[in-house]
Formats: sequence, C-alpha cells, structure tokens
Amino acid sequence: MSEAVVADPEREAPREDAFEEPRPGGRVQAVAAGVAPVAIGAFAVWLAFGLEIGSLTAPGPGLWPLIVAGLLVLCGAGIVAVAATAGTTGGTEAFTRGTIHVLLAAGGLAVYASLFEVVGFEAPTLVLLFAWLRFLGRESWLASAVIAASATAVAYALFILGLGVPLPHIIAF
Amino acid sequence: MDLSSVLSGFAVAFEPQNLLFCLIGVTVGMLIGVLPGLGPAATIAILLPITYSLEPTAAVIMLAGIFYGAQYGGTITSVLLRMPGEASSVVTALDGHALARKGEAGPALGVAAVASFIGGTASILLLTFIAPALAGAALAFGPAEYTVLALIGIFLVGTLGSGSLWKSAAAAALGLLIATVGLDPILGTPRFTFGTDQLADGIDFTIVAMGLFGVGEILYNLEHRDRPQPAVPAFGRAIPGRLHWLRSRAAILRGSVTGFVLGILPGGGATMSSLVSYAVEKRVAKDPSRFGKGAVEGVAGPESANNAAATSSFIPLLTLGIPANATMAVLFGALMLQGITPGPGLMTEHPDVFWGVVNSMYVGNLLLLALSIPLIGVFVRMLKVRPGVLAPLTVVITMLGVYSIRNNAFDMLLVIALGLLGYGMRKLGFEPGPFVLAFVLGSLLEASFRRSMRIFGGDVTEFVQRPVSGSLVAVLVLTAVIVPVLRKVRTRQSGAAEQPAAQ
Repeated sequence: MSEAVVADPEREAPREDAFEEPRPGGRVQAVAAGVAPVAIGAFAVWLAFGLEIGSLTAPGPGLWPLIVAGLLVLCGAGIVAVAATAGTTGGTEAFTRGTIHVLLAAGGLAVYASLFEVVGFEAPTLVLLFAWLRFLGRESWLASAVIAASATAVAYALFILGLGVPLPHIIAF
Repeated sequence: MDLSSVLSGFAVAFEPQNLLFCLIGVTVGMLIGVLPGLGPAATIAILLPITYSLEPTAAVIMLAGIFYGAQYGGTITSVLLRMPGEASSVVTALDGHALARKGEAGPALGVAAVASFIGGTASILLLTFIAPALAGAALAFGPAEYTVLALIGIFLVGTLGSGSLWKSAAAAALGLLIATVGLDPILGTPRFTFGTDQLADGIDFTIVAMGLFGVGEILYNLEHRDRPQPAVPAFGRAIPGRLHWLRSRAAILRGSVTGFVLGILPGGGATMSSLVSYAVEKRVAKDPSRFGKGAVEGVAGPESANNAAATSSFIPLLTLGIPANATMAVLFGALMLQGITPGPGLMTEHPDVFWGVVNSMYVGNLLLLALSIPLIGVFVRMLKVRPGVLAPLTVVITMLGVYSIRNNAFDMLLVIALGLLGYGMRKLGFEPGPFVLAFVLGSLLEASFRRSMRIFGGDVTEFVQRPVSGSLVAVLVLTAVIVPVLRKVRTRQSGAAEQPAAQ
C-alpha cells in the first residue's frame, strides 16, 4: 500500500488474473488521516495535564504521556501538511459499500460479546456464525446452518471439554 | 559459547512433544502462508490464548514454526497464481509466475523450497554463533542504552515499512500512548483509565495483537470479499532440472547472506531482504533481460533471502529483547505471557528455551522441505476453501480465545474496538506494525527513559556523553541516513512488484 507503489507509473500493466485493487481515497480522506491523530493527541495532552507532570529530573506520571501525545499531534500535523501540499492520497483507500458490512460485522460482534455472559456462549455463537455465513459470506441456508451448528459443537468440545476453559455455557455434561 | 547448552538444546528440540508442536506450527504456518488474508502475525496473535496451557518451550517452538512456515507457504500462491500469500514473497511472483506460465511451475516450486531450506538453515547456523556474543555485550546495558535501543527499534520498523514516514511515526506514537493506559509503572497512579477498574491493569498485549492483527484483518478482508476464485494452473512434479540448479546455486548463497544481514536489522526482515536480493540478482546476471520472464535466480535468491531473514530476525528479540518486526512483537508478547522476559539474560537463565527453540528450527526447516515438495498439491487444494467460510470461524476462535484470557467480556468489546481501529488505520493508510511494536516496547521505553532521567539529573545530553548509549545514538543517526537509501531500492523494486497482500 505504499505511496511509492501507487505513484509509480510503470506499475500495473493490465493483467488478466488480477483481482480488483482497492481504489485510493480522495483528498478529504488524506487530510482526515492527519486530523484524526491530531484530535486523539490533543485529547491525550489535555488528559495528561490533569496528571502530575513533574520535571525532567523527577518525572511525574503525566510527563511521558504528554511527550508521546505531543508527538502524535506533531505527526498528525505533518500528515495534514503533506496531504494538503503534495496532493497525494498517502496510501488511503476509499470507503466502499463494503464498509457497511464491516460495521455490521463489528456491531454483531459487540452484541455477541454482550450476550455472552448473560445467556451462555452456545446460542450467540450459533446465531453469529449462521448470520455471518449466510449474509456476509453468502453461503446457502443449508450450508450456513450445518457449518454453524458443527462449528459451535467443535468449539464446545475444544474449549470446554478439551482445554477446560470456563466459558459461560448452559448445556452441561 | 557454551557448547553443552547448544547440544542439550537438541535434546529439547527432539523431545516428542516439542517435535509434535514443531510439526503443528510449520503446518499451520504453511497453510496460512498459502491462504491470502491472514498473515503470520495475526495467526500467532489469535493462537496466543491457546499457548497459555502449553509449556514455554513447546509454545514458542510452535509459534516460531508458524512464522517461518508462512514464508514457505507464501511462495506457493506467488508462483502458481501470482497472488503472494505473504508480503515477503511478492517478488517471487515476478519470475516464479512467469516460470509457471512456461509450464515450469513444478521446478520453480522445487527450487524455491530448496532455496528456502538452505537460506533458513544457514541462518540458524550463523545465529548460533552470533547470538551469544551479542547477548554477552548487551548484559552491560543500562536504562540509557535500553531507551536508545527501543527508539532504534521503533524508528527502524516505522521507516522501513512501506507507508509514509509521518504515518508510521503517528502509528508508533499512538501505540506508545495506548501503552500508558493503566497504572503508572513507577508511581502507581492510574492513567487514562476513565475511572474503570477494567483498564487499571492496562490493556493486555494479547488483546492489542488480536484486535489489530486478528479482528482488524478479518474486518478489512470483509470489505473486499468479492474476489474471484482463481483457477490453479497445472504443475508437474516439484523436481528442478540440472540447469535450474546451476543457475540458482550462487543466487541461493548470495540470498542467504543478504537475508541474514538484513533480517537482524529491526524493520528489515523478510520483505525487505527478498526485494534487495532480487535487485542483486538482476544486477549480477549476465543477461538481466531474462528477469521478469522466468529467471530461476529471481526465485532462488529472494526465497533463500526471506527465509534467512525470517530466522535472523529472531536475534534482536532473543538477545536484546527488542522485536525486529511485527511478528516478533507478537512472539515477544508470547514469551512474556509464559513468564519469560526476552533479553540478554534469556540465554543464561533459560538455556533450554533459547537453544530448544533455535535448534527446533533445523527440524522445522527439514519438515517444511519434506512437506513442500510432495504435498504442494494438498496445500493448493486449501485455496478452494472460501474466505466467506473461513472468516466467521476465525472470528469465533478469536472471541472465545480473548474471553479465556481473563474470563472477561469487557476484553471482547476491547478487541472489537481495536479491530475497528485496525480497519480504520488500514483505510487511512496507516500500518498496524509500528503501532503494535511501539505498544510492546512502550512500557520498557517509558521506564528506562524515566530511570535514565533520574540518573542523569534531568540532563538529556547525557545520552550522547556515555560511551555505550552514545554509540547507540550514533547508530540511530546513521540509520537515519541509510534508511532513505534503502527505501529508494525498495521503491524501485516494488514498482515492478505486486502490492503486498497483507501484513
């Protein structure tokens, strides 16, 4: 994903067996890549001042975070400067419709993690696997059901019976 | 060097249990090398919780096997499909795939396997002699030296990566910042915990590695899941002819040396050395125009180089406690989980672990050679497994593994958040490697920096005035000069090469 690769004119004679490369993101995304570190860094600087900074001779808990956060702000500013002047995309990739799937998957995982300790791991694992296979993986209904059920059974056997991991579960042997 | 501990390391490596875990490691490594998407760093991260219950030696032997096994596996898809499974086999695709088109896929794979074997084995031999000397020298290091050393590590990994310097630096700074979450290492004050007990112990390294590499890569691959299924070309037996051997002999030797030297440098590693080796082979060839059209040296050189580098990149980790690349950072975490601190003391305090792991690599390389020549067909068949099936299974293993670390559902949410961070970083052009490396070195760097500041009475210039740390600062400055040159070489090479598939 290097700039060099993107910028090199020799690259990419058409190839019949190449899959579609991700498109580079636009100028806005390149600038955003710098604004994000600045924002995170600035927030951390503000939090670091809430801790005791101390001095170089006797550093307090806040000194190191302050240095590191300052560095982050500096780097973010550097990225913004490069993006604004050079006009390169800086190795960014445009967000696509697939991004929605990524967010859905992450959301699904979060729900999975929250249900885990409430109803045991079996049912959420089964549902997560089935939904992922069917809707994100576009497997058939039957294949999704079979893979999800057997994978859950294998996970149960491996983690609970085999490795003795105390996962919350409702089916007991 | 203490020869008896080297020899007793063989005894450790040949224990049945360790042989088994070596075989499991290299087989898994080869598989994930073949499958594009999940890299060795991600796989090792995902398997970390499983290694909790293993003995330290067996655990590290297996995880190391995954790392160098992936170098072998990545070659297969490079040659057959021009789809490098690992970034380090990107250049192999140039001539390897050209050979495959000429119907010489079998010989190309055979040369690659033997070159990998020779590169890897030569590198273990060199490591056996160099590592003790380096560890001996490092025993004298104090906090000031470690501060500079950690900085060199982070600096090199950041700059030798493929992305922009600013972005690598920003990723490293973020990693250092996340490493400060939890209690202050010296005074015990809570920092960035937002008042929750869950963050008081800081963020576990396993969670960062699994989130950024594991979940992050799965999410990233989800976006581009509509890649067509490639058709695997036919390949004959993986036995090269006499002409192939004559042409590759010198290339393998040169590649092994190049790989060994570059592998020791933090950030150099397998990818860099395969690119440099390809450039060297092209330069010394009598007829450079053959390159890109199926020159077998263009396979032999880079393949021996990336395996030699994969092996020698263990040196900084095992002797200085400084991981040379992202995968080594994950292995650093694995050792720490086992209660073993990688560093100059490792060789004397845990000689069985050190020499057991090093000598198991001979076994592993032999196993890989044995696996790759007759069994290439079996591994290629793995390509038929659809990524849509693999991803959810991997994600469930990851989630259950995360939970098992502390029996804590909050950690699962943390992994998902870090996975999204990893995805976002990839989309915005940041590499996760420097982040994870900086995170690993963060507490070491902070603690040594603060200790040195106390010793120096707040005078930063003392770093330059002390002889050892001063020389290390000189190394840091020197690399700042050399690195841009190496980047140029890399740029020129990767212009012709395909983009790295994954971390």
